[in-house]
Order: sequence, then structure tokens, then C-alpha cells
Amino acid sequence: MEIIKTAGLTKNFKRFKKQAGMIGSIKGLIRREYEEKQAIGNLDLTIQEGEFVGLIGPNGAGKTTLVKMLTGIIAPTCGSVSVLGYYPNDLEHEFKQQYAVVMGQKSQLFFELTVEDTLRLFKEIYGLPEEEYESSRDYFVKLFQVQDLMHVQVRTLSLGERMKMELIAALLHNPKIIFLDEPTIGLDAVASKQIRGFLAEINERRGTTIILTSHYMEDIKALCKRSIVINHGCKIYDGDTEKLFERFQKFKKITFTFSEPTLLPNLEFDARILEQTPYKKVIMVPKENAAGLLRELMNLLPTDITVEEEEIGTIVERIYQEGGDGLA
Amino acid sequence: MRGRIKRNLRMVRVLINLRLQNLMMFRLGFFGPFFVDSCVFLVQLCVFEVIYSNVDRIGTWGKGQMILYIGTFSMINAINMVIYFFGINGIPDKIKNGDMDLYLTKPGSPLLRLTFERINPGSVPLLFLSGVIISYGIKEGGIKITPILVLGYVFWVAVMAVLYYLVEVLIRSFTFFILTSGNTIILEEAGLTLCMQLPGIVFYGVYKVIFYVILPYGIMATIPVQFLTGELTLSGALWGILVAAAFTILTAFVWKQGIRHYNSASS
Repeated sequence: MEIIKTAGLTKNFKRFKKQAGMIGSIKGLIRREYEEKQAIGNLDLTIQEGEFVGLIGPNGAGKTTLVKMLTGIIAPTCGSVSVLGYYPNDLEHEFKQQYAVVMGQKSQLFFELTVEDTLRLFKEIYGLPEEEYESSRDYFVKLFQVQDLMHVQVRTLSLGERMKMELIAALLHNPKIIFLDEPTIGLDAVASKQIRGFLAEINERRGTTIILTSHYMEDIKALCKRSIVINHGCKIYDGDTEKLFERFQKFKKITFTFSEPTLLPNLEFDARILEQTPYKKVIMVPKENAAGLLRELMNLLPTDITVEEEEIGTIVERIYQEGGDGLA
Repeated sequence: MRGRIKRNLRMVRVLINLRLQNLMMFRLGFFGPFFVDSCVFLVQLCVFEVIYSNVDRIGTWGKGQMILYIGTFSMINAINMVIYFFGINGIPDKIKNGDMDLYLTKPGSPLLRLTFERINPGSVPLLFLSGVIISYGIKEGGIKITPILVLGYVFWVAVMAVLYYLVEVLIRSFTFFILTSGNTIILEEAGLTLCMQLPGIVFYGVYKVIFYVILPYGIMATIPVQFLTGELTLSGALWGILVAAAFTILTAFVWKQGIRHYNSASS
């Protein structure tokens, strides 16, 4: 069942263009020049119920603008958008009752009070009966393992703990869709991994549709079967996450370790040496040539071999740079 | 409809509850405003004392009516300070910083939440002090109190407190359209300061248009006092209701349009 559908969705922002210096400021007082910036252009999108979709894009690509249009925070300039059968910017109560949004950089918790206090407010906002509230709260408190943190001041929580609480607050009313805008921003590897685990479970067990924007490709790769890449407001890829990374994964990094000092022969296969000591050689090679290189260097009798994929950041950089020619 | 009202009332109760708990986390933050607001109030009283020790009448009003006027304006202002001022005053910043996002994505009215989320118990003493001034004015003016008179006066104070609220919301809603609405707020403050000291009956011509129609602070305390002293005419009463109704429609319209116009802030 289609839960989100957009067609030709466009959002333009008008911004004041000021010339430099005092003269520019005075000119701006008399005759103002504006420029139109297209944050999202002509975007067609369909998301099915229960999907876990990743929105990827560099800063200013339009990811957050898209989320804001889907949640009704801002109105589109043109095009159509339907979320759960509603036009989001009508901001109908029945619509808002069915989704949740978590913004990594904006907290919805009361910092001086406890999480339990904030949850009580949300219980009233969403009109949850006491029994449903308690059962939902207890489920998430157990899932996120935060039993000991419910009665401490929010301001004393670590970033990771606070994000778990933000998620509990967002999930309390069992929304059909949850929009997550950079939920792991600033979190360490352990906390990010935990959050990813919880999100996967919520998607699987509760069938909640999740739209995730993140700069951390580990999040997208680990969670989202489907990815949408946006750049300059346009969709440049929409499809399987594995395929996306496979396509832009162009090199393999191979590390050879030797028990005795070893010299490398002249390398073919477009290989590039990244690091070289008498006992260790790190070589980058196009993935299609990796097998050939391995075969050749096996003759040197290495004691250990590690084959690694390229760093995820490098792949993402390539996706943005190459723009997704022929991808969309 | 009834369910929605019930839910809103429950939400208001929780908001007030949370605000009080929040304030009680800091002892100085909780008790400090009681002292500060009372001092500010006493300073204002001193100003009035200085003015009215030099003049006997302002317009057609004598000392008793003027004391009533000061008490009534203080009462409306105290209601404003206790219930909604601090919540409403934060609207421009929330629009500029994009913090309205979290209000718009939650069920229920964002304005209701903004209105009641920052109540200020520190101003409660002002309500009592204003009550004392009003009682003194009634005594000084030789007004014979009847239940109808009290009910009518309470009604007009309530209507004018709502009007005060509407004007505040309206002015702050301009930030949805023009981010630098600070100058409008300065105008509001100047008008308020003037009308706190001068009753609406002294305004004529263009000043009357300004303070009876555009920034209706001129009628806010004047109409309740006129009712109490038996000076309120039918046309005056109708004008009060008309202005309150017009501002209700205008504020609701501007607020709704403002939300549609809201562009959030870049993250």
C-alpha cells in the first residue's frame, strides 16, 4: 500500500541577494534583489507501507526540506504530495496523530525535567488512554534498556541516552510513519549501533514505515533496503542500497603481511601502493583486477592477507561527484 | 467537539503542571520573580502617585475613576503576565530559529501550547495588588457594588484580557512574514506604556483611531471602568465587543496564513 506519494514536488525559496560592502547595503535598502533557490525540484516519489528508506545527499541537497514538506512543516511551491492520504500542510490533527518526526538537532524533551514528565505531556497531546500509554512506554523502555534513566533530569543524560529518549517520545503513540532527520548525529559508534538496532526492530516488529536521512552511510547501509540519493534538489538515484554501493564501490584495498622483508615486483592491474614497509604492503586496486593482483602476489608467500572495501565516505563522495549519471 | 475541548483542557493542565515543576527546579528562579514583579509594580504605582498628586482630573475623570483605571489596567496586565505573555513573547524567536517545527508536527493547536507552556506564577502577587487598588478605587469613587456590577466588570476584564492576548499574538505573528518584526513590538510597548497612564477618554482625532482601532489599548481598561462607574454607553459596549471580535478574526486569519507561510530555518 502506498503511504507516501509525490509528483512534481517542488520547493523554491526566495532569498535576498546583497552586494558586498556598505554600498551594497545601501543599494539593498533602495532596490532589493532576490534570487530563487530551488531546494527540491520536480520530485516524484512513492513509498510503500513498512519500507525503511534512506535519504542520502550532501549538505544543502534538499533532504531536510523534503522531510519538512512530507510532515507538513512547510508548504510545497508546486506539485502534489500525499502522506497517508492527507495533504501534509493542511496540518490536520488526524494526520499528525499518525506520524512522528525526530530531528537530531532539535530536542522535544524538557531539559530540566525527567523523560517521564515529557512523556506525560505527549500522552495528553496524542490523547492516549492510560493503559495504552503505560504499555507503550514500558515496551520501549525495555527495548531501549533505559529503565534507570526515566527519573533523571534530561539535561544530565548523555547524547546517546537522550536520543533514545527522543525516539521513545516519538514512538509512544505507535505512529505509522516515522521521519528521522540525522538521528545519530554526534553519537559515538556504540550508541549509533544501538540506535540502529532499535530502529531495525521497530521497523520489523511493528511494521513502522521509516524515512531516514543521515550523513552516516553506515546507518543507511545497515538499515535501508532502499535508498534515495538527492543532490541539488533532484533525485539522482532511487533503488536498492546494495546496488548503489556496489556500483560506486570501484576499488578494493588489499593488505599483505610478510614474515620476512619482501620487495614488490612491478605491479600491473592499475594498482596503487598506499603504504609500504619491508613486512607490510597496502595496495588499492580496481575491484575487477583484485583477483589478478592476489594471484600474482600469492607467489611472494604472504603470511596474512586482508581484503577491504573502500571507505564508505569515499564511495559517497563519488556518488555525489558523478551525480548519478544514468542512475535515476 | 466536547472531546477536543476536554483534551485541550487536559493538555493545558499538564503544561501548567510541567511549567511549575520546571520553575521549582531552581529556587531562585521560582521565588525571584515574586519579588521582582512586585517591585516593578510598586515603581509603577509611584509614577502614578507623582502624576496624580499634581493633577485633580484627567479628561472628565476624577481621582476615584483614575485609581480604578490604574487597578484595572494592572489587573489585565497581570493576567497577561501570569498566563500567556512569556509563551507568546517567544513566538518570534521560535519562528526565526525554526523551533516552530516541533509545535507544528504535534496534534493539537500549536498556539494553545505556546500560550500555556510558560505561565509565570511570579506575577500572581500582581493580581492581588491590582485587586487591592480596584477596591480602593471603588471606595474612593463611592461606587455601590451589586452582583450584576461585579459580573459585568469581570466579563469586561475577561474580554479585554483576551483582546490584549489577541493583539500580542497578532503582532508576533508578523514574524512569519517579515523576520524582523522587532520594531512592531517596540510600537506595541510604547502604546502600552502610554495607555497604562492615560485612559481612553482623553484620546481624540487620529489618536483615538490609533488607540481605539489599530492598537486598541485605549479601550482595554477604559470600558471595564466605564461599566463600573455607569458611564458605558451602548455604542461604547458594542464597540468593545466589535473590536474584540474583529481582532479574533484577524488574529486567527494572520496566524493561519502565517503557518502556511512558515519556511522553517535551515538545519
